[in-house]
Amino acid sequence: MALQDLCNFQDIFQDSLTKLCFLGTFEKNTACDYVSSLSTRSSTSLFNFYIPAAEYLDESPIQFGQISNIQSSSAISSQESILSPSSLPTSLPFASSQSVPLPFPMSHGTTTLAFMFQGGVLAAADTRSSCSGLVACPASQKILPIHSHLVGTTSGTSADCALWKRILARELRLYQLRHGRRLSTRGAAKLLSHMLHPFKGTELCVAATLCGWDGGEVDDGCHAGTVIDLRGRGGTTKSEMTDQEKYLDTLNEKVSLPETQSSTFSEQYFARKKVSFSGPGLFYVCSDGTRLQGTLFSVGSGSPYAYSILDQGVRWGLTVDEATSIAREAVYRATYRDAYSGNCVDIYHITSNGWTRRTREDLKEEYYREKERRRHEGRGRQDVTVSE
Amino acid sequence: MALVEVSGFKPYSELRGQIFPTKQTHLVDRTSHYAFGTKTQEFAVPLGVEPTGFLKSCSSDGGVNIDMNHGTTTLAFKFRHGVIVAVDSRASAGRYLASNDVNKVIEINPYLLGTMSGSAADCQYWERLLAKECRLYRLRNNHRISVAAASKLLSNMMLGYRGMGLSMGSMICGWDKEGPGLYYVDDNGTRLSGRMFSTGCGNGYAYGVVDSGYKEDMTVEEAYELGRRGIAHATHRDAYSGGVVNMYHMQEDGWIKVCKEDVSELIHRYRKGMF
Repeated sequence: MALQDLCNFQDIFQDSLTKLCFLGTFEKNTACDYVSSLSTRSSTSLFNFYIPAAEYLDESPIQFGQISNIQSSSAISSQESILSPSSLPTSLPFASSQSVPLPFPMSHGTTTLAFMFQGGVLAAADTRSSCSGLVACPASQKILPIHSHLVGTTSGTSADCALWKRILARELRLYQLRHGRRLSTRGAAKLLSHMLHPFKGTELCVAATLCGWDGGEVDDGCHAGTVIDLRGRGGTTKSEMTDQEKYLDTLNEKVSLPETQSSTFSEQYFARKKVSFSGPGLFYVCSDGTRLQGTLFSVGSGSPYAYSILDQGVRWGLTVDEATSIAREAVYRATYRDAYSGNCVDIYHITSNGWTRRTREDLKEEYYREKERRRHEGRGRQDVTVSE
Repeated sequence: MALVEVSGFKPYSELRGQIFPTKQTHLVDRTSHYAFGTKTQEFAVPLGVEPTGFLKSCSSDGGVNIDMNHGTTTLAFKFRHGVIVAVDSRASAGRYLASNDVNKVIEINPYLLGTMSGSAADCQYWERLLAKECRLYRLRNNHRISVAAASKLLSNMMLGYRGMGLSMGSMICGWDKEGPGLYYVDDNGTRLSGRMFSTGCGNGYAYGVVDSGYKEDMTVEEAYELGRRGIAHATHRDAYSGGVVNMYHMQEDGWIKVCKEDVSELIHRYRKGMF
């Protein structure tokens, strides 16, 4: 289980090296010993972050008191003991720890959106990176692919988002290697949320929507091609899917109702009775701890403008082209009114076959086209009044 | 200045009291009245009270945080056949919903409308004052006041009390000799002429809808639908907007009230086919 790996809770069952490490923490090691034993397992422990500005805090009596507090109370979960090495003198789980102050006020200007429909999940974002009124980069990428079937939109501090996406990608890959299947979007959202939790109360700012398609992959045991469930998804409406659901029910296969709106198809060839659901997944994860499942999200300073367009047009039964044009219009309207959003629009479409990316489009063209159109309409108006 | 007359706070009120009997002082018309107070700044601020200091104590870094929440959505846009004005009808006091059926459009006269957003008290008072001034203008000058002049009156009133904590975002809409007129007037004294405005905390949502669907040569029905949609979608996403959509259409011969539709029914109609 990914979370267990994270907090190294299953150390007891692992090899002796890790046992040494585990015991080591109980015995109040010196800092260097601890770090060396940790480095051998650095692949799984996540929290060995070097926080540069924290050295001077080592001397602080308050800080020192807290650290020794951890080591003495080692009876508590090993997760906390992992977090006590010298590389982390600012004890992260404690809300009273001092965070590094921001060098300048960050403004979180962006427009990203994602919604689910019958053809999968569509994610769209603008490409402007702003920094207190300066456009730092007019061609940044706010939708980062995490793996072949999962894409995350980023909002907040770009550096934080990029880092955490990479960490998430690493963890998901490790999960896949260990367990033979991809972690679901729901699981990835939970993982990200738990990884961000220690930083709650600090200046970290990540607001991401994870858009993915959950497997129809089979376990390693049986490769008998069972991508059955996914092929039919492309053009089916909701009513058709529930019919298929009923059909499968009659086959005496246990179909568990999914937590998401997508219907469930259980595998027909299986060594063990494993039920998995496949379909689109959309989750919003925020560094303040919010984790929401939904069918439509828009994040960022331009989100109000985008929301109203999306509310108007998004329905389950949209075709891919219609959905793309609605997403594009929503981002365009947001860039039209919001100063912190602009430049180009990126659109990613996630289906059972993975994600595909539409070519980046410069919205400047759209703006000029619209201006022409308005001018034509205006001219028409003038003609009418003159002729009267 | 009009307000000075209304409040009766005059520096030479005592002087007049000696000349005229006390009851009649407020009936005397002063010459400075025609200049609308531009020569001498006379405002009814009680002595010894400093509004800016009080306001600072209300902000989060000063002292106790009194959140002035300006919950509403109003929008207005000009098109070929006039001006459409659409507003919601919710009045909130912090988290409490004071009313879901407030009229946020003040009918100044048959050819001038003013919308209200921000502090309800400020809006109602100052716009009624503006109505009074417009009426007086008409009586004195024998022709209707223009939309530009009316909005200028209001913005000058706001400028006089700038920094003292007024909160008002209003759109003055009308039809005069120049054609349809739309001005946005702010408690900072901002006065902007434009084709489309939306105010209140739900304005972002309304902007998206109206920007997207606006065409200069819309028919009247399309324009009504656009105004309705703008408010409906804003109330759907904004917690502080709601109630009903009150819509007016400003035509050449005056305004007409188009509709008063419940927002929840509208949203239900628009979002059929959603999940």
